[in-house]
This record gives sequence, C-alpha cells and structure tokens, in this order.
Amino acid sequence: MILENVLKIADENNARNVKRIRLEVGELLMINPVQLEFCFRAISRNTPAENAVLEINTVKAKILCLKCGKELDSIHALCECGGGMDVRGGKEIILKSIEMEVNDAQNRN
Amino acid sequence: MHRIEIEAEIDLLNENRRYAAKNRKILRERGAIAVNIMGAIGSGKTLLIEKTIEILGDVKIGVVLGDVVCRADYARISKHGVAAHAINTGKECHLDAHLIHESLKKMENVDLVLIENVGNLVCPVDFDLGEEFRVVMVSVTEGDDVVEKHPEIFRLADVVIINKIGLAEYVDADVDKMERDARKLNEKAKIIKMDLKLNAGLKEWIEFLRGVLDVSGNSC
Repeated sequence: MILENVLKIADENNARNVKRIRLEVGELLMINPVQLEFCFRAISRNTPAENAVLEINTVKAKILCLKCGKELDSIHALCECGGGMDVRGGKEIILKSIEMEVNDAQNRN
Repeated sequence: MHRIEIEAEIDLLNENRRYAAKNRKILRERGAIAVNIMGAIGSGKTLLIEKTIEILGDVKIGVVLGDVVCRADYARISKHGVAAHAINTGKECHLDAHLIHESLKKMENVDLVLIENVGNLVCPVDFDLGEEFRVVMVSVTEGDDVVEKHPEIFRLADVVIINKIGLAEYVDADVDKMERDARKLNEKAKIIKMDLKLNAGLKEWIEFLRGVLDVSGNSC
C-alpha cells in the first residue's frame, strides 16, 4: 500500500523518480523497520521508487494512567499508583511526504 | 530537472477502518452481534465454537473461519448445520474487515456471528473487523508467560479465556499468574478460566453471550 500510493503521487506529478519517502509508523504496530525496508526494496524494483530513501519515523503512543494521570512509557505494567492505562495513538502508518525529481518542462505544464 | 516535495498525509490503514465501520453498520441494522475470537493454534477456538453452537441451539449463529490454507475447521463447524463461511487467507496471518464484509453479505439471517481469526496472538490485533466484542483465548499449554509476552492483544480484549486449566499441573503452568497478568493489562476484561474437555467455564461463557444477545435484542 505504501508503494501503490507513492507511485500514484509520482505519476500525478510526472516525476522521473522518487528520491525520498517519509513515513510515520506507530510504535504499537511493532513493525520492524529493517523488515519494512527489505520488503520495500523488493517490491519497488524496476519502478520509479526503486532508489528512494525510505525514512521511517517511529511515533510513540500516549499512555496515561487512568487513576493519577501520569504519563507511562510502556503498556507492559501498571502505574506505580496501581492504576490501569489509557492508550492513545501509536497505531498509524502515515505517508507524510514524498520527494521526487520532475522535469522542468513538464512541471510548467 | 528539479526536485519537489509533496505533502501527502495519507493514513495507510484507513481502508480497513472504513470497512470495519461498514460492517458495524450492517450488523447493527440486522440487530446482530459479532464476536472476534483470537488465539494461538491449538488454544481451543474451534472447539469453543462447536460447544457454543450445541448449547445455543435456539440462536441463529453464523460462523466465519479464517485459516491459512486448510478447510478442516470449516468441515468441523458445518457439520453442526449453521451458516459457516471459510476464508483462506493464504500467507496473510489475520482476517481483515474487507474479508469479513464479504462474509457478512453471504450471511444475512443470523443473530450471532462468531469469527474465528487466524491462529496467532500478534497479527489479528491491529485489524478491527467491525466486531462488537473481542475475545482472546489462550491455553495453559502455551506456557504461563504467554499473556505477558503478548500485551497488546490482551489489553484490547473484552473477554480473556484461559483454557485447558485441567492440564496446568502437568505443564507446570500457574493459572493465577496468567489471570493476574491479564488483569494488569486490562482492568475491564471478563476473565474466564476454562477447560472445554471438562466443561469448566463454559457456563460463564454462555452467560456472557446470552447477556450480550439480550442487550442487542432489546435495543432493536
């Protein structure tokens, strides 16, 4: 789905090739960036995105104690006050932006 | 030639959420309840569904069965004379809302949809199917650290079933520890200690289903 969207946007902008792809991945999805990169390299071969730098930023979830409101680091444990947790975010994959090379002439059209 | 940067801001998981919302709407309109049963291979999901069908003979049940390749579960369930639909996911390790959407189209006249997800505790977590309740089933034979090893699926569950408790002493599993771990991660979930071979915990499970079916019936 990443590649599909990237190629669509590249095509809409008459890009020659894609230089950089910025992604935000929520930490709770537990996606291994190394594996994501490996898969992307495999499927983007022979497309305008094949040499693009894949920039993956991991976004933290906001985890708050339901009892005392303290911010917690992980979903593994209870808060020190014994409260449970409220978890927000950390589950998105956002295609933030794409850098690409376009022909000057085409861009003027 | 020059370089441009396009701000995209595309949420790539949105498509599943869109289908989940559609499924929820369809189920609500039909006055039906969907229960997503997740758990490892061999945790007892299919047997739980078989026993549920036997006991809830008066309820119109539909079953959706997710499996990687085989149709053995489908054969087990369809013997019981309920509407059953098998989904072979191939290499995909979870069901998604789009697959369920297709199943719901083929399953109109049911009040309770039991969805058996693909057997594992990792991938099904992030895919909302449009279900009303999420159930996680583990067995003591998976080791009593299975809950703490998979926090996310337990955190988001409405019901946690710890199955095969009759075997705990033979595999050195501490059932109370498993229950404590689940409670730590999830204050609200209903926790049921079960042994399907001994019919333990089954009453509690059926009471839970009867309860949610009553609520859904009254609201229509």
